Amino acid sequence: MVDEEISALLGRVVLRDRDAFAALYRQTSPKLFGVCLRILKDRSEAEEALQEIYVKIWQRADRFATGQASPMSWLTAIARNHAIDLIRARKPVANAIDEAYDLADPAPDPERSAAVRSEGRRIDACMEELEKDRAEAVRRAYVEGLSYQELAEMFAVPLNTMRTWLRRSLLKLRECMER
Amino acid sequence: MTTQNPESGDFRRDEVIAGEYVLGVLSAEDRRKVEARMASDRNFAAMVDRWQHNLASFDDAYEAVSPPAHVLAAVERSLFPPSPSAAPPVGFWNSLLLWRSLAVASLATVAIMWASMAGLFSEPQGEPLVAELSGEGNTINLVARFDRTSGSLKLTPVAARQTEEKSLELWLIEGDNPAVSLGVLPQSGEGEILVPPEMRTRFGEGSTLAVSVEPLGGSPTGAPTGAVVAQGTARHL
Repeated sequence: MVDEEISALLGRVVLRDRDAFAALYRQTSPKLFGVCLRILKDRSEAEEALQEIYVKIWQRADRFATGQASPMSWLTAIARNHAIDLIRARKPVANAIDEAYDLADPAPDPERSAAVRSEGRRIDACMEELEKDRAEAVRRAYVEGLSYQELAEMFAVPLNTMRTWLRRSLLKLRECMER
Repeated sequence: MTTQNPESGDFRRDEVIAGEYVLGVLSAEDRRKVEARMASDRNFAAMVDRWQHNLASFDDAYEAVSPPAHVLAAVERSLFPPSPSAAPPVGFWNSLLLWRSLAVASLATVAIMWASMAGLFSEPQGEPLVAELSGEGNTINLVARFDRTSGSLKLTPVAARQTEEKSLELWLIEGDNPAVSLGVLPQSGEGEILVPPEMRTRFGEGSTLAVSVEPLGGSPTGAPTGAVVAQGTARHL
């Protein structure tokens, strides 16, 4: 599957080309269905989610900016966000971002620039600098769309410990990638 | 978080919240807050984008699984509601009568071609001759290739009238098992499909053969992705 090909199809979808949309679906739906199945863990819910995801893709194709991201990552992000919204609605979790974040950490402040630019390091190399169980928690949170509560149960640690693990890991990753 | 000034706010905290959003660990309500902030704060939106870009390599963990055919149909129904007069009736392509008449039509065409080519073939020597046989509204055309020296005339179906170049792929279906590809039908009318040795024993009476329209070069997923244009069950002559 070639990125340029998917970009070209997305371009034609912006022009409301239905054949291009069907071709885009054929090329990309197995991956996005894989995302839905992994996160929702229910086949019929995943089918319904996939349907809604492609409606969004048709509606939002014009927001894809060529050259900014890989088109497959862009499509996968739409699928992940949709599937995560569905499970968070199905199994609500505690709100947290208005509360205090315990970010006391040996890592220095990340460079104060949020500009998207090529990173010094690949995420994989930086993941290896994390403790093994923390790296595993970061990866599973992303891939399976798990909540802090589910991760805490899975790794048999208190909820607040899991929050601290992931938040500090995020800061370490940011710091590592800018090194 | 809505009270935070993007310029003077806690930069580390923002980085973490942007990362948590992309990881997906936040509550539904917190996710909406993050999205609202992204819409109003470009620096924060850039942090989210950067995490998205960085963590996208985890996407490799998602295995591709072919969704059932009805999903695309449902998507298209909701996006493009049919106009009352459009589209042939459902079942048109599955109609036995259609395939019978198509087969008869094709045979008739071949016979006519054969007769009219008889004269043509008497002139140039050596080079094989190729003709594309098509009919009004068909999904497939037949490419005929005549080899003077051996006297063989091979007919190969190819996808027709597609907005982009397509291939026809032949599938073997045994019972309820997923379809297994037997190969892509050659576009040129040249050559045949050679059934892979490990597949030959699986081919027997009652096996179903189907032909689907696929992207040029064949299905990208290993399972049929396009419309099935013909299918039938194998039996002994």
